[in-house]
Amino acid sequence: MTAGAAIDRTPRRARIGVAILLGVALLWTLVPLVWMALSSFKSDADVTSAEPTVFFEPTLDNYANLFTGANDLTPYILHSVLAAGISSVLATALGALAGYGLAGSRMRGKKHVAFWIISTRMAPIAVVVLPLFLLFRGAGLIDTIPGLVLAYLTFNLPFAIWLMSAFFAQVPASLEESALVAGCNRWQAFRHIVLPLTKSGLVTTFVLCLVFSWNDYAFALVFSGPNSQTLPMAADQLVTQTGIDWGQLTAIGTIVVLPMIVAGLAVRRWLVTGLTLGAVTGE
Amino acid sequence: MSLTVEAPPAERTGTSPSRRRRFGFHARMMAPGILLLAVLSLIPLFTVIAMSLSRVRLLGGVSFGFVGGENWARFFTDIDLAVQWLRTLVFFVLTVGLEMLLGVGLALCLWKIMRGRNTLLSLLLLPMFVAPVIVGLLGRFLTDSTFGLYSWLLGLVGYEGDLLGGTYSAFISVVAMDVWQWTPLIALIALAGLTSVPQPLREAAAIDGASGWQALRSVILPSISSVLLVALLIRSMDAIRYFDIIAVTTNGGPADATKVVPIRLYETAFRFFDLGYAAVIGLVMLAVTIAIARAFVGVLERKGLTR
Repeated sequence: MTAGAAIDRTPRRARIGVAILLGVALLWTLVPLVWMALSSFKSDADVTSAEPTVFFEPTLDNYANLFTGANDLTPYILHSVLAAGISSVLATALGALAGYGLAGSRMRGKKHVAFWIISTRMAPIAVVVLPLFLLFRGAGLIDTIPGLVLAYLTFNLPFAIWLMSAFFAQVPASLEESALVAGCNRWQAFRHIVLPLTKSGLVTTFVLCLVFSWNDYAFALVFSGPNSQTLPMAADQLVTQTGIDWGQLTAIGTIVVLPMIVAGLAVRRWLVTGLTLGAVTGE
Repeated sequence: MSLTVEAPPAERTGTSPSRRRRFGFHARMMAPGILLLAVLSLIPLFTVIAMSLSRVRLLGGVSFGFVGGENWARFFTDIDLAVQWLRTLVFFVLTVGLEMLLGVGLALCLWKIMRGRNTLLSLLLLPMFVAPVIVGLLGRFLTDSTFGLYSWLLGLVGYEGDLLGGTYSAFISVVAMDVWQWTPLIALIALAGLTSVPQPLREAAAIDGASGWQALRSVILPSISSVLLVALLIRSMDAIRYFDIIAVTTNGGPADATKVVPIRLYETAFRFFDLGYAAVIGLVMLAVTIAIARAFVGVLERKGLTR
């Protein structure tokens, strides 16, 4: 690593130490991901060779097989996009309204409402799955996209409300007040003054909701069936008694991971705020 | 709500919007989200409490047979479950402990460099976005005893054997996968804390002749302690939430070596369909998370961060 050259007053030895540590961290972090991506372009023989192969004849067979064989990946992608997308849009929209209300409200017992919201977000998924399983069976929501959307809302909605309220709390009240003085009604002041100022908050909330629900396995395992299976389930299903097609599996892995990496890094500036639910602000 | 008459004058000045109406503007904005959340959280909560007091039958339509405290009585005599809680605690302490240690170390390294910090940070953050199920399957791929890259590397230094096949090595492997995925989160939060340490504070420590290590211990770490506490609590709540990695790698095995409480819950509920007892296990898990959430909100209040 030569990236960390300019350090003030730090002795040379310490600088080299830092560079080595960062180099090791970088290897530890990236090798699995790079190896997954590489393997997805390998032939079966190369994937399962006893000696790891770094130089090989790249092939698109694994990706082609995902879309041509008996188990076409297209419906899985569609289910993932629908379930994660709809739940994230709903969570962000309702979360923006409720978050604004929560940030501005001076009602009694607000602390308790806030605590209730955060504990809903943090409830272990295994605990939420149990009653939803019974309720969904009763309501015919097992193996449906609306069922998954509702299941994802159980963690995305409290997250969105809490996080949006943290973003709204940063907007100075004086801006809204002057809009009201200028003749806006409350909704107009919210819609045209306050909301545009929290655009980054909206995008961050949406992206994180998307990542959480796109990556879900625990809910999909119980609630999804042939009509609603998502991408993580497609990966799971390649694990069979007779063996695992690792070429295809690494290809699915790459397809699952890539869009989330792009989306996640797009909001990197606000990630700290988002992932600490507004408790820590960065940069 | 038919309370929407015309806006009262007090509201136009924006001084006290909620005084005039029974339900102010803020309450009406909150209503849709909060009501939906109430439906999504309270109905399941009451259902799971009812489940814990019943024998739940699934065949021929869902039915509850009230059994009183039977499930709870079992809970207090279940040695296996006690062992699983202990194992969960060990897993929790190891993963969260390592993640805190390595994450803070990583943040300190990143903090020391000026050029390329953002690019480096972006690369180091990547594991956080990977679906845990993929982390688990990728772990299996890398540790496969015949063609896994990491098994091969370990073979070079003399370790032979199936990593996920041995009881200790399987436990260590799933810990390592969790650490791989979540150390970046701690590093990200800690770095945000470090970059907000005021420059004068650092300079003062340097002028006082504090060595790097002294300055770190007595000036820098104390000034980011509340940020670290937030990181610890966030990570703790999630550590109890997630179990995907174990589910797709060892699913509790070999010989129960990685059977933590959430895995036991899934097994009880969806393999043995003992939903009443699973509800008891679940409610206890919920109580633990709520205790941690309490602490989290407590920290925010002390910092004046709750609005």
